[in-house]
Amino acid sequence: MKTRRDFVKTTLALGATFSLVDFSGLFAAEPPTPATGLSTETGPKPILVAVRDGDRVTMLDKALAELGGIQAFVKPGQTVVIKPNIGWNSTPERGANTHPSIVGHLTALCLAAGAKSVSVFDNTCDQWQKTYEISGIEKAAKDAGAIVVNGKDETLYRETPIPQGVILKSAKVHSLVLDSDVFINVPVLKHHSSTQMTAAMKNLMGVIWNRDFYHNKGLDQCIADLLTLRKPALNIIDAYHPMVRNGPRGKTVDDVVEMRTLLASTDIVAVDAAAAKLLGHVPADIKHVKIAHDMKLGRMDLENLDVRRHKLA
Amino acid sequence: MIPLPRNPLKLARVATAILFFAGLTIAFVDFREFSPARLGHVLAHAQFVPGLLSLLIGGMGTVIFLVGIVVTLAIGRIYCSAICPLGILQDAITRIGKWIPRKKRFLPFAKPQTALRHVFLWSTVAAMAAGWGGFALALLDPYSNFGRIVSMLARPVLTFANNSIVGLANAAGIQSLYRVTPAWAGAGALLLPALFLTVIAIMSALRGRLYCNTICPVGTALGLISRFSAFRIAIDKAACTKCGDCLRSCKAQCIDLRSGTIDASRCVACYNCVGVCEHHGIGYRFSWKKNPTSAIPAPAAPAVNRTINDPQRRAFLASIAGSVAATSVILTKARAALPAEEATPALVRSGEASRAICPPGSRSVDQFLDQCTSCHLCISACPTHVLQPALFEYGLEGLLKPRMDYRSAFCLFECTRCIEVCPDDALSLPDLATKQVTQIGVADFHQSRCVVEVNGTDCAACSEHCPTKAITTKPYRENLRLPSLDQSLCVGCGACEYACPVKPTKAILVTGRRQHGHAQKLVEKKATSPAQTGDFPF
Repeated sequence: MKTRRDFVKTTLALGATFSLVDFSGLFAAEPPTPATGLSTETGPKPILVAVRDGDRVTMLDKALAELGGIQAFVKPGQTVVIKPNIGWNSTPERGANTHPSIVGHLTALCLAAGAKSVSVFDNTCDQWQKTYEISGIEKAAKDAGAIVVNGKDETLYRETPIPQGVILKSAKVHSLVLDSDVFINVPVLKHHSSTQMTAAMKNLMGVIWNRDFYHNKGLDQCIADLLTLRKPALNIIDAYHPMVRNGPRGKTVDDVVEMRTLLASTDIVAVDAAAAKLLGHVPADIKHVKIAHDMKLGRMDLENLDVRRHKLA
Repeated sequence: MIPLPRNPLKLARVATAILFFAGLTIAFVDFREFSPARLGHVLAHAQFVPGLLSLLIGGMGTVIFLVGIVVTLAIGRIYCSAICPLGILQDAITRIGKWIPRKKRFLPFAKPQTALRHVFLWSTVAAMAAGWGGFALALLDPYSNFGRIVSMLARPVLTFANNSIVGLANAAGIQSLYRVTPAWAGAGALLLPALFLTVIAIMSALRGRLYCNTICPVGTALGLISRFSAFRIAIDKAACTKCGDCLRSCKAQCIDLRSGTIDASRCVACYNCVGVCEHHGIGYRFSWKKNPTSAIPAPAAPAVNRTINDPQRRAFLASIAGSVAATSVILTKARAALPAEEATPALVRSGEASRAICPPGSRSVDQFLDQCTSCHLCISACPTHVLQPALFEYGLEGLLKPRMDYRSAFCLFECTRCIEVCPDDALSLPDLATKQVTQIGVADFHQSRCVVEVNGTDCAACSEHCPTKAITTKPYRENLRLPSLDQSLCVGCGACEYACPVKPTKAILVTGRRQHGHAQKLVEKKATSPAQTGDFPF
């Protein structure tokens, strides 16, 4: 059910979209949870949880328990947006998208923790209705009680200034990301033909309307710049069977390798650094990871983090 | 409230008409893909022109077409009243047109426009003979014209209406509605269905089935058969009181009360007259008897001395000869004057490049232009809207035929919906696996325009989107990755061209193949893990 507040929000969002770009700032409220928790060398060590050898749901439960449970992130009455990777019109076993079981389970956990609503969307690469369907995510999310939102509806995106961005100074960002109380990032780990790897940071290209800008102006810097606007409260990487070649779309099921791993952290750079290692890279070789680390948006120096490793079998 | 027809014949006709009209309308406006691909495919298969084209190449629709001919020979032009969606649309417009105040409340009997009818019919036949059949049928096929009106005009309007209520619906908690980008065709392409709808609307509002009995070549062709039908609607002179009720209900203006005859070549078998006659004085009569004992006269124009000196007959013959000759000459010249590829010499590559890219399953541009009547069922069904009506990209011949527009979208690798819906055999492929190796075009990479080359930053949007991995990336300069293209793997789906962020001219462009080819398929072994397995690498 929608409340009056939601209606007002929706109306404002629509109004902002239809108004001139210059006016959008008047309507675009500051994100409820601004980019806090900038990890500095002086702050507490961020926790990185790595779980192996279980099924996805069990590994997710284990990782969340280590981070204080879902209630550490979702308070009763809050609105939640979950951003999986739903990029490609391909089935779960091909590993091109986040596995539906993770999205479904996470939705159920958020609602059980008292979330007012859980929304799921992605600005897909392939035709969106097909992709939502074939990925299995639409059904899993809906069955668990989530609202599945069209990521190809330009009116749902708002032009938002990104003052701390180096190249990306402004972007049309999906209103769910701007307006939801809790933002959870649930990517899948894959090879990528350009950035070599796509995981948590690169997954956030799916909350932006105009990806051409990234590609034209400097992909890696733009990926890092967006984090200065809003960082997800929690990042969960599905590395159960990462696609290790022909990414990010993949060709066949032969492109995936079974690793049965799940990574989770509040630090988006840290999870990506660990993910890079799973694919055999040195984290600093992944340009957007290095840039984000240098901008102090998170830490890729895993040796200085509080890494909690769990083998379930 | 429209009263339910009491006459069983009319009831059956109206029920069939509603089924075809509603079914095809849904198939053509369905912007949410609620309806299965079979719906449009099956209903369109029963249409005359798709069936005829199927017959000419011995395709799947041959049997249905022949059944249609036999039925017409048995009971007349029921196609026009029960199956043809354009005919039914005109009936709806006529009904609305009755609200317009005017002096005459009904359409009186009118003389047939025999010469004009035959000019349109035989021009179409001549065009087909001259190799311009696809063009002529695309312009005149009633089913295809209906399809274009709904697909190009009604569909985007309905999408727009949907979008205008999405905000309210979502705010009210109805999440099943979402915005859909309206698929407007280009202004030039829109002009034709808009013009056609205007003509049809005026003609049918003022004169009922005038279009069907003057311009439509399908109407004329079926009229030629229905003149000799075994059962024809006829007036029983013994029962007739000349009250004129039948005349008032006739939308084809084919009932001549003075002579008590009905022009069977123009009667569309709507059974309106049968239903209104309170004296049961009008209905089907077997008309193949040698010596009719009843007072029911022969078909068509009443007993006229049909000799070569009959002026009407002479006009008829002259119109056939004239239109056949003129059309043949015009079209042969037009074809010689308009080779699409010579107009764009830059694209000529071993004589097989095509400026417009024809969809998978069409085999070749030439075959496609012959077989496709531009009904736009595939354009309506295409989930990505990569299929767009051509203006002159195929040349004049290909006016309004579907083409792949990689500025709008790209062809979804796992999709065969256009092929599933096509009623013309214009698009046909055995299965998805065949489509995935059918090369409809080939990409060309222009490194000098590529972001990686020009800006010195990573991009690879083309490679990301490539479903066959014809485009991969290789290390380039300092820590960059440059797209690398293997054309033998390319199917020409356009994903790379669509994704390329370079403007205005993209750095990777697909050129269509006049004759579709076969792409190689890269087979790889199962991938191996890049890092140590069994433990955490950190």
